Amino acid sequence: MLAAFAPLAVLAAIAIGLGLIILAFSFYIGPRDPSPVKSQTYESGMTALGPAQRRVPVRFYLIATLFILFDIEVIYLYPWAVQYRSLVAEQGWGALASMGVFIGVLVLGFVHVWRKGALDWD
Amino acid sequence: MLDLSPDWGVILTHFAPELILVIGALGLLSYDLYVRGKDGLQPWITLGVLLAAALATGWLYTMDPAEVFEGRSAGEVFRSGAFLSDSFTHFFRLMSVLTAGLVTLSGIAYMRGKTAFKGEFYAFVLFAALAMNLMAGANDLIVIALGIEFLSLVSYILTGYIREDRLSIEGGLKYFLYGSITSAAMLFGLTYLYGIAGSTSLPVIAEAVRQPENLVVTHLSTFIVPAALFLVLAGIGFKVAIAPFHQWSPDAYQGAPTPVTAFLSVGPKAAGFAVMMRLFITVFGTPELSATWLGVLGALAGLTMILGNVAALTQSDVKRMMAYSSIAQAGYMLVGIAAFGGTALMGTTPLGAVLFFILAYLFTNLGAFAVIIAVDRLTGSSSVSAFAGLSKRSPFLAIALTIFFLSLIGIPPLSGFFGKFAVFGAAVASDMFGLAVVGVLTGVVSAVYYFQIVKTMYFGDPAEGGALRPSPGVVFVVATALVMTLIIGLVPQPFIEIANQAVTALEPIAGSMVAR
Amino acid sequence: MQPFLEQISILSLITFLPLVGMVWVLFLRDDDRIKKFATWFSVIPLILSVLLWFGYDKDAGGFQYEAFFSWIPNVGINYHVGVDGFSVPLIFLTTLLTTISLWYSAGVIQTRVKEYYAFFLLLATGMLGVFISLDLFLFYVFFEIGLVPMYFLIGIWGGPRREYAAIKFFLYTLAGSVLMLLGLIAVAFNTPGDNPFTLVRGGMTSDWLTAAPIPFASDPTGALAVAAFLGFLIAMLIKVPSFPFHTWLPDAHVEAPTAGSVILAGVLLKLGTYGLVRVAMPLFPEAFQMLAVPIGFLAFTSIVYGALVAMAQWDFKKLIAYSSVNHMGYVTLGIVATVAAVNGVTPEALAADPMLAENLEAARVAALDGAALQMFTHGVITGALFLLVGLIYDTRTHERDFRELGSGLWRTVPKYGTMLMIAAFASLGLPGLAGFVSEFLVFNGAFRVGLAGNQPLLILTALSVLGILFTAAFILWKVIQMLLLGPQNERWIGTPDLTNNELAMLAPLMFFIIAFGVYPWPILEFIHGASQSLVAHMNVDANLIEVARAASAALTSLR
Repeated sequence: MLAAFAPLAVLAAIAIGLGLIILAFSFYIGPRDPSPVKSQTYESGMTALGPAQRRVPVRFYLIATLFILFDIEVIYLYPWAVQYRSLVAEQGWGALASMGVFIGVLVLGFVHVWRKGALDWD
Repeated sequence: MLDLSPDWGVILTHFAPELILVIGALGLLSYDLYVRGKDGLQPWITLGVLLAAALATGWLYTMDPAEVFEGRSAGEVFRSGAFLSDSFTHFFRLMSVLTAGLVTLSGIAYMRGKTAFKGEFYAFVLFAALAMNLMAGANDLIVIALGIEFLSLVSYILTGYIREDRLSIEGGLKYFLYGSITSAAMLFGLTYLYGIAGSTSLPVIAEAVRQPENLVVTHLSTFIVPAALFLVLAGIGFKVAIAPFHQWSPDAYQGAPTPVTAFLSVGPKAAGFAVMMRLFITVFGTPELSATWLGVLGALAGLTMILGNVAALTQSDVKRMMAYSSIAQAGYMLVGIAAFGGTALMGTTPLGAVLFFILAYLFTNLGAFAVIIAVDRLTGSSSVSAFAGLSKRSPFLAIALTIFFLSLIGIPPLSGFFGKFAVFGAAVASDMFGLAVVGVLTGVVSAVYYFQIVKTMYFGDPAEGGALRPSPGVVFVVATALVMTLIIGLVPQPFIEIANQAVTALEPIAGSMVAR
Repeated sequence: MQPFLEQISILSLITFLPLVGMVWVLFLRDDDRIKKFATWFSVIPLILSVLLWFGYDKDAGGFQYEAFFSWIPNVGINYHVGVDGFSVPLIFLTTLLTTISLWYSAGVIQTRVKEYYAFFLLLATGMLGVFISLDLFLFYVFFEIGLVPMYFLIGIWGGPRREYAAIKFFLYTLAGSVLMLLGLIAVAFNTPGDNPFTLVRGGMTSDWLTAAPIPFASDPTGALAVAAFLGFLIAMLIKVPSFPFHTWLPDAHVEAPTAGSVILAGVLLKLGTYGLVRVAMPLFPEAFQMLAVPIGFLAFTSIVYGALVAMAQWDFKKLIAYSSVNHMGYVTLGIVATVAAVNGVTPEALAADPMLAENLEAARVAALDGAALQMFTHGVITGALFLLVGLIYDTRTHERDFRELGSGLWRTVPKYGTMLMIAAFASLGLPGLAGFVSEFLVFNGAFRVGLAGNQPLLILTALSVLGILFTAAFILWKVIQMLLLGPQNERWIGTPDLTNNELAMLAPLMFFIIAFGVYPWPILEFIHGASQSLVAHMNVDANLIEVARAASAALTSLR
C-alpha cells in the first residue's frame, strides 16, 4: 500500500535536495567580498532612515481586521447566488429569507462597530 | 445523510432555545448601543432571555415526539441531522441556562463599574450558553468543532474582559494560546475521523468504524482510530480541564473576573463532557471499540484526581485553589465515563451517574463561587486571608461556603456525596477498584485544602472588622444553591431519574439504526 | 401510643429532636436563654430513651420500634430504623451524656455560645442516628454527620493546639469512612434482592423486610469480601481507635473542650466497636473470622501499649485519653473472641462431651456480652473522668499536670476527691464497680474460646491480662497516689469544692458505675438477648454443632 506513495517521496527528496544543493553551491563557490556599502539595507545606495520595525498606529490594525471580517462574510454570497435557482425550487421564499437573516446579522454587526466608534479616526 | 429539503417548522421548533438565545444576545448588543454608560437593564434582559430559553426547553421536554416530527419516525430525525434535539441535549440545555443565569445573578454587583463594556458582557454570557447548547446537541464533526471553537472564543474574551487588570489579560492570553494549540490538535483528530469514514456525520462514522472493511481508507485504521480519539480527547480535555491538558486553568481562573471564573468552572466542563459522551459513547461505545479508549480515559481520570487535589493543597488564592478543585472534580466525572461499560447500582447507569454528578456539581460550585464573588467584591481580594473571620463578618456566607465545601468533599447527606457515590459505585461495578480507591483517598486530600478555608473563616480573626453585606443577587444565588445542595442530597430520587432519562438517548448506535 | 408515632417510631423522634433543637437555637438571641433552652431540650430525648429502655420487650428480643420508608428506591436505599439489645443502652448513654455535657458547658462556654450549642445538638443527631440505623447507607450517612460538628467543637473551643487536633481528627476519620464507602458499595453490589443495604440478615428478626442473605455468597474466592471487609475494618479501627490508628485520639482529647472530650470518649469511640458488632459481624462472618487473630493482636497491642503510654503521661487528660485506647482494646478483644475460629475439636472429643459445642457458643456469647457492656461502662466511667478533669481544670486550677496539681487533693476538695476515687477505681476494674463486670466477661469468654482450640487467641488473652495490671498501676500511682493522697499542696488550699449543681451532674454517672457494678443484670438482660441471637445468626460453629448433635445422637442410639 505504502509503495504507492513512493514516487511522491522521491519527488519530495529531489525537491528538497535540489534546494539544498543550490544553497550549498552558492555558499561555497560564490566569491565573498563584503564592504560597508554592500552590507547596507538597500544596495541601491539609499540610506536607511530610522529603525526597521516602525510602529504603525493601532487604528490601522482595527480597520484592517474589520475589513477582513466583512470581506470574508461576503464570500458566502457567491455559492448562495450560484445555487439560488435550485434553492428557490426547493424551499420557496425560505431561500431568500435565510440570506436575509445572514445579511441582517452582518448589518447589525456593522451598526455595532459604527456606534461603538471603531470607525472614528480621531 | 443530510436531509436537503428540511421542514422549516420542525427545525425551528427544535432550535427554539437556541433561536431565543441568538435573538436575545443580538438584541442585547443592539440595546446596549443606545443606553451607553447608563446603569441599564442588561442583566434583567439576560435573565429574561435565559428564562425564555429554559421554558422553551421545558416545552420541548414535554412534547410528544410523534407530534413534533409530523409522522416521521424519531430515529429518522434523531440519527441523521447535524444537531440532535433529544433528551440528552435538553438536559444540557437546562444546565447551560442554569449556569448562565446563576452566573449573571451573582455577577451583577461585581461587574458594576468594573468595565465600560457592560452590555457585551451579558451578551457574551448568552453566547456562551448558546455555544454550550450547540456542543450538547452536536451530531456532526463540523458542529462539534464549531461549538467548541465558539465556546472557546467567548471564554477567551470573557477571561480577559477587564482590560485594566493585568492578571485578567494574562489569563485570557494564556487561555487563548493554549486553546489554539489544543484546538488544532482536535481538528487534526477530527480530520482523521472524516478521512477514514468519508463523512462528518457521527452516525455514518459510527457505521463505518463498525465495518472496518468498508472504510474509505482501510489500511492504518487500527491505529488511526485510537490516534484520532486521543487528539480529539486533547481538545475536549482542554475544555473540561483534565490533566494533562489543564495547565491554562489556574492562571485563567485567577485572572478572570470572578463571575467568569464561576462560569468557566461549570459551563465548559458540562458542555465538554456532553460532547465527549456523545462522541465516545454513541460512535465508539461498542465493547470492541471502547477497549481502545477506556484504559486511556481511566488513566487520565486517575491522573486528574491526583494532580488536581494535590496541587490545590499549596494554593494561597481561593480562585486558584478552586481551579485545581474543579480539575479534580472533572476527574471524578471522568471516572463515571471510564466506567461506562459496567452496570451501575440498581436503577442507575454510569452515564446517568455522570449527569447526576454534573447537576449536583453545578449548584454546589456556583454557590461556592457566589460566596467568593461576594468576598472578592467586598474585600477586594480573593486570597485565603480575605476569608479570615468570615463567620463573624457574614455568618450566612460562611456557613453556606462551609456546606458547599462539605458537599464538594462528599460528606453525606449533601448533593456532592451522592454524585461521588454514584460514580464510584459505577467504578466498583466495572471492577475499577483502583480508580475508586484513588478517587476516595484523593477526596480525603481535598478535605485538607477546603478546610484550610473553613478554618480561616471560623478560627481566624478578621483583618478588619465590619459586617459584609452581599448583594441581593449573590444572596439569591447562594440561597438557591444551598437549597438545591440539600434537596439533591436528601431527595436524590427525582434527580437520578432526570439524569437516567437524559442518557437513554446515548445508546451506542447499532448499525441498523443509521438512516442512510 | 399514637399510630403516627408508631409509624415514624419513637427512635426517629429521639434522633431528630436534637436537630429541631439546633434549628431553634439558631433563632434565639440571648446566650443564657440558648444555654437553658438547649440543656432542657436535650432532656426530651433523654426521657424518650428511658421510655425506650422500659418499653423494649426483652423477652421478645430482636429489632423493635422499627420504622421503614423507602428513601432512594432506584438504588434500594431505605430509611430503616430499629433497636435491639445492643443499641438501647448506647442510645440511653448518648442522650444522658449529651444532657450532662450541655449542662456542664453552660458554666464554661462563654464565647460563640449559639454556634457551640448548635453544633453540639447536631452532633447528638449524628451519634443517635448511627445507633438506630438498620440500613447500611443510613448508618454511613449518620456516621459522617457527626464528623463536622466535632471538628468545629475541637477547633473553636479547644485548647492551644486545637486547629491541628481538629483537622487531624477530621482527616483520620474521613480516611476511614471513605474506605467504608467503597466497602458498602461492594456489599450492595454483591447482595441479591431489592434492599442491598439492609443490615437485617437472615436469622435476625425484622417486621419490615424479608431478611437479606449474607453478601458475597456467590463470590467464589472470597477475596472481594475480604477487601470490602478491610474497608469497614479500617474505618472502625480508626474510630475505636485501635493501635496503630490511635494517634488522633490523644490530640483530639487533650485539645477538645471538656464536654467534647466527654462525648468523644463516651460515645464517638463506641461508634467504631458498635459498627463492628452491627455491620461487620452479620455482613462478613467469614472474612472477620479469617482476620480474627490479626485483629486480636491489634486489640492486645492497644490494651498493653495504651496502658503503658498512659502510665508515662503527666497530663491528666492525656492519661485518660490513653486509658481509653486501653479500655476500648478490651471491647475489640471481646468482639474478636466472638468470631475467632476454633480448630482441633475432633468428632471424638465432641462425642465424648456433647456439651462442648454449646459451651463454646456460651463462651462466645459471654465475650460479646462483655464487649457490649464495656461499651456502656467505659462511656459512663470515662465520661465521668473527663468531666472530673474539666471540673478541676476549667473553673478551678487551670492546671492539669500531675506534678503541679498534686498532692493531697482529697483533703483540699473532699467531695471532688471522693468522686474521682470512685471513677478511678471503676476504671481500673475494681470488683463491685461497673468496669469489673464487663472486663471479667470479656476475659472469661475469650479464655474459653481460646481454650476450646485457638492457641493464638489464648496467648493474646493471657498477655492482655497484663493490661489490667498496668491500668491498676497508673491509676493507683498517678491518680490516687500523686493526686489525691499525700500532704496537701499549699498552692491549691482554698480551692472551692464541688457545688451541689456539679454533684448533681456527676450523680447519674456515679449511680450507674456503682449500680451496674453491684447488679449488672438490668443492662445485661438487654445485651445478652442480642448477643445470643447475633452469635446464633453468625453460626460460626455451625458445623461443630452439627457434628456434636450427630455424635450425641449416635451415642444415644448405641445405648
